[in-house]
Amino acid sequence: MSSALFRLQDVSLGYDGRAVLEHISFAIERGEFLALLGPNGAGKTTLLRGMLGLIPVLAGRIVYGFDRSTSPPGYVPQRDTLDPIFPLTVREVVLMGTYARLAPLRSVGRRQRRLAAACLEQVGLADLADRPFWALSGGQKQRVLIARGLAVEPNILLLDEPTAGVDPGAATTIMDLIARLNCDQCLTVVLVSHHLRLVRSLVRSVLWVEDGRISKGATEVMFAPERIMDIFGPL
Amino acid sequence: MDTLVEIVSPGFLLREALIGSVLVGCICPLVGVYFVLRRMIFLGVALPQVSAAGIALAFLVYRILVGQHQHFIASERWLAMTGSLSCTLIGLLILAAFAQHRETVEARIGVTYAIAAAATILCLALDPAAEAHMVNLLKGDLLATTGLSLTLMGGVLGAVGLLLLAFRKEFLLVSFDRDLAVVFGKHVGLWDSLLYLMIGITISLGVMTAGPMVTFGFLVIPPLTARMLTRRMLTFSLTASGLGAITAFAGFYCAYHFDLPLGPAEVALASLGLAMVTTTRGLSRMLERWRAT
Repeated sequence: MSSALFRLQDVSLGYDGRAVLEHISFAIERGEFLALLGPNGAGKTTLLRGMLGLIPVLAGRIVYGFDRSTSPPGYVPQRDTLDPIFPLTVREVVLMGTYARLAPLRSVGRRQRRLAAACLEQVGLADLADRPFWALSGGQKQRVLIARGLAVEPNILLLDEPTAGVDPGAATTIMDLIARLNCDQCLTVVLVSHHLRLVRSLVRSVLWVEDGRISKGATEVMFAPERIMDIFGPL
Repeated sequence: MDTLVEIVSPGFLLREALIGSVLVGCICPLVGVYFVLRRMIFLGVALPQVSAAGIALAFLVYRILVGQHQHFIASERWLAMTGSLSCTLIGLLILAAFAQHRETVEARIGVTYAIAAAATILCLALDPAAEAHMVNLLKGDLLATTGLSLTLMGGVLGAVGLLLLAFRKEFLLVSFDRDLAVVFGKHVGLWDSLLYLMIGITISLGVMTAGPMVTFGFLVIPPLTARMLTRRMLTFSLTASGLGAITAFAGFYCAYHFDLPLGPAEVALASLGLAMVTTTRGLSRMLERWRAT
């Protein structure tokens, strides 16, 4: 039996009925650590949003290897998409992850608070639980959003450019944290990035997105010198 | 002090008006919190005007179809309520339907306000017999609040307040991170519709009770003040609501004691509170910066 968590079968994705990515097929196996790489505007985020169900599938189908209604994926958006007008503490942001399994009228209880505290502990920010979310640095905010993703208790964590706009030191901390979650907890991770150098030593597979097409392979294969030549041309 | 004792005594002649005023002051900011957080403040200007246009339109349509209505009877309030709620909900639905086109949002709200203001005046001009009473309704005739209308308002606004608190985690999620709500399989459209329905009901009742100016004032000013005082969502909502209630009470006291118009007194007091908090915050930040250098 296949252990695929996601299986995209001849899928086309896009906006307003216009396809950005066409006829793509691939699978994401349980425990995989996959980076979606490619030039700006190639459709990496479109692919991620399609996998999350945030944009409709124009053609083909996505088969999920888990029950999305009872166990949704963990999602870490780019922090700039969130509005700083909301008065929220770090704990409140992480608790939002627990809402995935809370029915309407069921309030946050002791179990959810303990889970949120454990997730904050995992990302190394337990001390900042009562601090205003917006007072944190870019890297810290990103780690809080990862903790929120973990509070969903997901099978898979999908991250949209988790190192965008953070300093190199914070970017390394974030990538090490994600790699640790994949390695220690066997958490399947998919991330969008264009920091090739940062991800190549950590991810196990790469999905290259360009010109509406994709190619997927193991990191060592995708980053082999001849592939790099194919992708970037003679340097 | 004597005035304070008088207005809190059970036999106070304008007791219903006082309670109605405090109710509007308490519930409008709870809804207004989402106006501020969703950056829809201008909608708070347009919708009370749409509600007022609905009242004027309902009276005009009644006059054309049935004949001149009787003033100061219960059915007059029901008629106004029907017009106000229908137009507010239709206005909200139209604005929500175009909500995805964010680049023209201010223009749409501005056009809505202009149309509603013009429609109100035109309807009044076409129904001169009703004008005097209509003007009272449009201004917000708090002093005309009766026991029955207060019971109705208490029930409806109480239910709105309870629903806002009971479903606060859903409303927070769809307002703060809509994508995450979709990923979680939450019915985003349903929660938006419920929120808009409560906004519509609150604005309609607020306009009927206190007028468009007071309703807009309470929708926006207490949440803006509370935003500067709090750092958590629940305390933000409760502080905004508490500030609204206190301001409404204090405004009523000032209006009664100094013989001032009630609505403007309440809005002026709320604005004074906002100015004081803004100034104090600005000064404390300057002091912090000065100490740091």
